[in-house]
Amino acid sequence: MTTTCRWEAAESSTVDTPPPPAPERGTGATERSRRRRGWALLITAAIVVSAVAAGIGRGAVFKPEGAGSLLDFFAAAVSPRLDASFLALTGTAMLTTLAYAVLGTALSLAIGLIGGVLSSQTWWSSGVRARRGRRLVGWVFARSVLVVPRGIHEVVWGLFFLVVFGIDPIVAVLAIGIPFGAVTAKVFSELLDETGRKPYTALLAAGATKRSAVLYGLLPPALPDLLSYGFYRFECAIRSAAILGLVGAGGLGFQLALSFQTLRYQEIWTLLFALILLSVAADYWSSLVRSARARGRRRSRDGGGVRRDPLLTGSLVFAAVLIGLSSWWVGLDVAVLWSGKAWEFGLQLLSDAWPPSIGDSGVGGLLTLAGVTLAMSIVAITIAFGLGALFAVPASTPAHGRDRVERGRVSTAARMLAMLASRFVLVVLRAIPPPVWALLLLFVMYPGILPGALALAVYTTGVLGRLMAESVDNLEVRPLRALRAHGASEAKVFCYGVIPAAAPRFVAYGLYRWEVTIRETVVVGVVGAGGLGLLLDHQIGAFDYAGALTTLALLIGLTLAVDITSAAIRRSVR
Amino acid sequence: MSSPIFALSGVGVSYGANTALAGIDLTVEPGERVAIIGPSGAGKSTLIGVLNGTVAATSGEVMTLGCDYRRASAREIRRSQRRIGTIHQRFDLVEQLRTVHNVNAGRLGSWPFWKAALSLLLPRDVQPVRAALDRVGIGDKLNHRTGDLSGGEQQRVAIARVLVQDPVMILADEPVASIDPARGREIMSLLLELSAEAGVTLLACLHDVEMALGSFERVLGLRSGQIAFDKKRADLTDDEVDALYAFERATDPR
Repeated sequence: MTTTCRWEAAESSTVDTPPPPAPERGTGATERSRRRRGWALLITAAIVVSAVAAGIGRGAVFKPEGAGSLLDFFAAAVSPRLDASFLALTGTAMLTTLAYAVLGTALSLAIGLIGGVLSSQTWWSSGVRARRGRRLVGWVFARSVLVVPRGIHEVVWGLFFLVVFGIDPIVAVLAIGIPFGAVTAKVFSELLDETGRKPYTALLAAGATKRSAVLYGLLPPALPDLLSYGFYRFECAIRSAAILGLVGAGGLGFQLALSFQTLRYQEIWTLLFALILLSVAADYWSSLVRSARARGRRRSRDGGGVRRDPLLTGSLVFAAVLIGLSSWWVGLDVAVLWSGKAWEFGLQLLSDAWPPSIGDSGVGGLLTLAGVTLAMSIVAITIAFGLGALFAVPASTPAHGRDRVERGRVSTAARMLAMLASRFVLVVLRAIPPPVWALLLLFVMYPGILPGALALAVYTTGVLGRLMAESVDNLEVRPLRALRAHGASEAKVFCYGVIPAAAPRFVAYGLYRWEVTIRETVVVGVVGAGGLGLLLDHQIGAFDYAGALTTLALLIGLTLAVDITSAAIRRSVR
Repeated sequence: MSSPIFALSGVGVSYGANTALAGIDLTVEPGERVAIIGPSGAGKSTLIGVLNGTVAATSGEVMTLGCDYRRASAREIRRSQRRIGTIHQRFDLVEQLRTVHNVNAGRLGSWPFWKAALSLLLPRDVQPVRAALDRVGIGDKLNHRTGDLSGGEQQRVAIARVLVQDPVMILADEPVASIDPARGREIMSLLLELSAEAGVTLLACLHDVEMALGSFERVLGLRSGQIAFDKKRADLTDDEVDALYAFERATDPR
């Protein structure tokens, strides 16, 4: 399970973390702790300012009269609509969402493979003639081409392609495939650079072209890692496919939006259960493949050699079949890509958008909205960090075997129960997409950035809780064992052993997710929760593409700023 | 055809402030067998890298098979690299691939990309691969995963790869340093035999001085990036060889 954390870390940061700083001035302990104190102060200030900006403590946030509807909604969970016709509808929608996820992942892997090779250092630094300057320029160029698609959320891509292609299955596939492809390319390039370069260089020395040398010398050793990341991406694609449904791509998200409009709670629950089922299944499949891979790696390090993995091979064959079935199911026709009409629309849209315009609100208005968006993300991540940490401890695997302290059967059972319950809660929290949470919160809250922030917080809690639980599982056991040997109670072991060791990782994950959250503000904005996302939605709805381009540029700038800040904080925490 | 295979004049390689090679003048004629000896860190591997075109010379001229590495196009460089086979100390094979693919990898320089890609699914030109593996004595390992083979067998795969590459020149960088001595002698005599059979020029870096002096006609002594001596085996005295290694002991800070 370590690998999820590894992937999260690998794909974060638009800004490449520079190589570990060479012995520089002020690496002293005092300097470091001073820098840390500085960041802590700054973070506290940012949280307070954001909370005020989000409208906490200004009253008239909650509308109690909606509480009844919310209760009704949750009461409906026990009686989802299960008649044959609706189940058939749900099943169809599930397959559509699954098909989009499969096709989107396939496209993203294709982009990732090509982009990953082209943006790896290995590709640019080989060959006897490559000049230093040219290498660097090529690599930096390849890397920066990937920044923009990665900074734009799937939903925004979806809205763009919807204008270009109209309602067509290709919209969802491209909307998932392009941003995911850019993220995948970055991770792949890093994986390829981690791979030993010698077999590859040996092939170049024998006069092979770079393409052939990559095919024979670089990809085979890296392949298992690349595939395991692909499965992790698939897991994420299911959630994206559902969200894209909300903006009109069909599938579970679309049905959810319909049922929400008519407030049919029982239908909503049927659909949500279907979504949870799909997420959990994808989650399970991907972690099965990845943990088998991790075991294989451990064995090979012990000298056993990497064996062919039947689970991986089987999964690959199954995936290939899924791709075929999926494109048949949604009726994918790639010919629309080069149809003259689509190009015409696309070019028309671009020429409408250029030059970008500031719009009615002026620069000040835009900056205010950017500030609001930032505040939304900070409030969301603060809440999610606290809740996630609370859930992480019960959700972690209980100590067993040698590390188990003598305990009564009752308390052992209680611990197991707590683990299962908190894991279940976390799964549900992250299976329901943020816009759905936002719609639910709008029952009891007035529209504004606070419901948006809370919706993001609830979803992010589900993700962070799982990451944090995994990092507690991966803690070094020996210090804990030593504390137990001193006769410390579990609570003391927790305070003295678990918290100090886990805290830096928790902070690191919190910051990674902050980078993701600032991108996700667009999604809750689309359902009316305020900020730049809402503005963007209005602008696209009103065909004001010039304004939308400005907003988009501002969003990308904001995303970049958050990435840089988060990378800086993480460096000082490390 | 008597134009030299390699002609190096005043070649130097430096990595930042570190100088790996300096002022190397070296000419290798077709059919020669040259051994390079010298203490660790003398620049033997760097010299091999310069010759096969994976290390760029920072000064001086490198002519390989009449191709000037500093002026030629990438395509011309590849064409001359194709005719030079290299055997590496750590084999540098792709452990995850089957033996047949690792041997076929020697032909990547002459295969178009589509053929290379297709061959990973349906191995192409298997007959010569089988013959090469038979020649190096592991014909039964055609479909084994390369990483599962022993060190000696992997080095034989590497030699088979060079055989299908069909070069005019074989470079060997410490070919037997990672194998036990008995296997090492077998591999070395196989290499000498093959080069004699095909009339291929051979240049090998060797740690084992006795092996170098025993089977090569020309011996090159390399010391801290410079050529200490370049002589016919017959003209070489024991004192010169001792001095090559003694020098290192004298400057050793310990």
